[in-house]
Amino acid sequence: MRFLSYAWDWLKQPAQWHGPDGIPIRILEQLYYTGLSLLIAALIAIPLGILIGHTGRGAALVVNLANAWRAIPTLGLLTLLAVTIGFSAVAWVSALAWLIPLVVLGIPPILVNTYEGVAGVDPELKDAARGMGMTSWQQVRKVEVPVATPLMVLGLRTGAIFVVATATIAAYIGLGGLGRYIIDGLATDNYGEVAGGALFVVVLALAVQAVFVGVRRLAVPAGLRQQARRT
Amino acid sequence: MDWSQVPELTWESNKLGVLPALFGLIISVPLGIVCVRWRWLYPPVLSTTSVLYAIPSLALFIVLIPYTGLTDTTVIIPLTLFSLCVLVPNVVDGLRSVPDPVRDAATAMGFGTLRRLVQVELPIAVPVVIAGLRVAVVSSISLASVGQLIGVSSLGYLIVDGYQRAFLTEILVGGGLIIALALVCDLLLVLVRRLLTPWRPRRTRRQLPEVVAEPVPALAGGAR
Amino acid sequence: MITFEGVTKRYPGGTLAVDDLNLEVPAGQTMVLVGPSGCGKTTTLRMINRLIDPTSGRILLDGRDIQQSDPPALRRGIGYVIQQAGLFPHRTIEDNIGTVPMLIGWGKAKSRARARELMKLVGLDESLGRRYPHQLSGGQQQRVGVARALAADPPVLLMDEPFSAVDPIVRATLQDELLRLQAELHKTVVLVTHDVEEAIKVGDQVAIFRPGGRLAQVDSPERLLTAPADSYVESFLGFDRGIRRLSFLAASGLSLDDTAVVSASTPAWEAAEHAARTGEPWLLVTDAGRKPRGWAASVELRALPREATVGDARLSPYGHTFGVSTDSLRAALDATLLSPAGRAVGVDDQGRVVGVTSYERLGAAAEAAEPAAEPSPSGRS
Repeated sequence: MRFLSYAWDWLKQPAQWHGPDGIPIRILEQLYYTGLSLLIAALIAIPLGILIGHTGRGAALVVNLANAWRAIPTLGLLTLLAVTIGFSAVAWVSALAWLIPLVVLGIPPILVNTYEGVAGVDPELKDAARGMGMTSWQQVRKVEVPVATPLMVLGLRTGAIFVVATATIAAYIGLGGLGRYIIDGLATDNYGEVAGGALFVVVLALAVQAVFVGVRRLAVPAGLRQQARRT
Repeated sequence: MDWSQVPELTWESNKLGVLPALFGLIISVPLGIVCVRWRWLYPPVLSTTSVLYAIPSLALFIVLIPYTGLTDTTVIIPLTLFSLCVLVPNVVDGLRSVPDPVRDAATAMGFGTLRRLVQVELPIAVPVVIAGLRVAVVSSISLASVGQLIGVSSLGYLIVDGYQRAFLTEILVGGGLIIALALVCDLLLVLVRRLLTPWRPRRTRRQLPEVVAEPVPALAGGAR
Repeated sequence: MITFEGVTKRYPGGTLAVDDLNLEVPAGQTMVLVGPSGCGKTTTLRMINRLIDPTSGRILLDGRDIQQSDPPALRRGIGYVIQQAGLFPHRTIEDNIGTVPMLIGWGKAKSRARARELMKLVGLDESLGRRYPHQLSGGQQQRVGVARALAADPPVLLMDEPFSAVDPIVRATLQDELLRLQAELHKTVVLVTHDVEEAIKVGDQVAIFRPGGRLAQVDSPERLLTAPADSYVESFLGFDRGIRRLSFLAASGLSLDDTAVVSASTPAWEAAEHAARTGEPWLLVTDAGRKPRGWAASVELRALPREATVGDARLSPYGHTFGVSTDSLRAALDATLLSPAGRAVGVDDQGRVVGVTSYERLGAAAEAAEPAAEPSPSGRS
């Protein structure tokens, strides 16, 4: 397998594993960008999704969003912000160049899935909750959110896919992480480095997915898991 | 700004967006039919496509370079695989959306299995399949621009060039055209759907695109 | 003609859906399969067009074992109507109806022409032909379903709870339509229902199933009501079996009395005398065409001035009428019960009064039809 042999040739060099450009550092960087962005995206999208799903207001917004955001090119967003914000002495400002795109691209799947999850709760269930005398807030907390959990986790999982991917591409505007190898390798015609970077990106992406499968197992009540699988 | 290249780049973006969706459709229709007929096949197929979908496009382009070089094919193959993640569930859901009484009546009237599939089930599944196609085409057009990083030309060139020259306008033109192209294709598909399904009630409930399926992700594709 | 010989259907889990069924469906008649849920009636129906194949036994269609036929070919010769119609949403009504003709190669034009014929037959306006199923009401969709089943003129028609999904008024109309169609077409119809009233109304023969897939009794509706085979059938048939039996006795068997019938132009005093002579408290007043106008109280007629005619008297509504040649004894009884005078008006096909009934005459007619039997040793007549 040519791809693997290239990658192997590169990563078996011990130099790759040390120093600021070393593999471990890059992996951690990638995880940091992904984690932070996903967290922020979730903090925005989940409450918003629950609100829209529960009240039904703004649903049209979500529907249109779901259609439109797929058209946005990652590279375009990244470079747009990079050029606009440029390089600032203040660290966090220049960080926005990558943070904003990552968060922006991570929000829609989380928002859409959370909305779907909450809005899709069986109306009879909601009715029963209201009938039992639950307040709006209690309904949300005790009925809608738990039932919506599978879709919320799915939304986070999907969001993670996009955030990891965007973070990889963000190396193009100067970000660290595993994408760094790809961009630098392409610039220097060093296919080994490129392949190595790509390999780790693949592994990381799959590992993140595996984590979410685990999260699903933990977070989703067993009854719902069974129901969902019977498709 | 050099506008002379724009038509050609737009055509490239178009090609790199439409072909993967088309190939994806050609693969996913038979695959979907098979998954409906043999239910046990569906979960593994779904898992496989989701796994592929989770891998960043740039990484997949690079994996293919030793085999297909820096050509359009290197971009088309991964994008086709991504579109499967959207299209296979939609084909399956579309076929399953055929009401049981309709299928029963068709069999009872003397339709053989193949004829029933072609004359009854697939036509009814068309709206759902087109919904998936819309997602596939839009995402592919947008994702194809990433191919610019490995030198496969499309409207992404304007973005990259714009960045290198710190020329904001060019970036905006590039990005804007990609979005516009995607939306035009989306609308065209809506039109196609209208033409193919005159039988559908007009005022259907405004719904999210029939793509977000559970439990395994049939995911809303995006720029990655 | 359809014959079941020792047919059994056992499912892999062990469920016995149909148990050693021997049944003959006479050609050109409506055979209704009726029974509670899970009694095997639908399974039996679906074995006729091989949607289900029996575990053992044979089914013969006009003498040929249906196992010998290729299922799709067999089915093209059998009409099939189901509860939710199952119309193809993506085809127009015309094309839906013309499905089987097109399948067997008639060509579009001929199939559509045939479809229009059938729409007329089942009582659908031709303008609906170019519409799509979702634009039609439930009752209309069911008619399309029936038209579709009849399109290729199959000798056999299978119907699986065809009228259960519509409201009672539409259901009654559709049942009447079926009776009318059968009178015209004489197809071999096998109809499954859980509604015993429907079975009695539309069936020429009724087969009552027990839970577990066994036959309890096969008979004409009248004989079922008269002589149920056992307590299961009796309780299945439900209450007031006796009264329902009256539906099968013709009103023409009633002897009607026209002594109490007077024309509106008759002088009141003459009518009053007539009433006194015959002892009638009420007189039925008819118009010049001998159509009923109402009941006049004899006492009131006596109080009228000399020149008055019967028509000037205060008339009570004549109530419900029954058709002497078309209605049953049950209808006559019903009309009598509803009439303020305790007497119902029998009319002919043109609506002209033939005579009136009374409770005595009704009783006599009922008794004449089924004379009270001598008590038998087993305690049942």
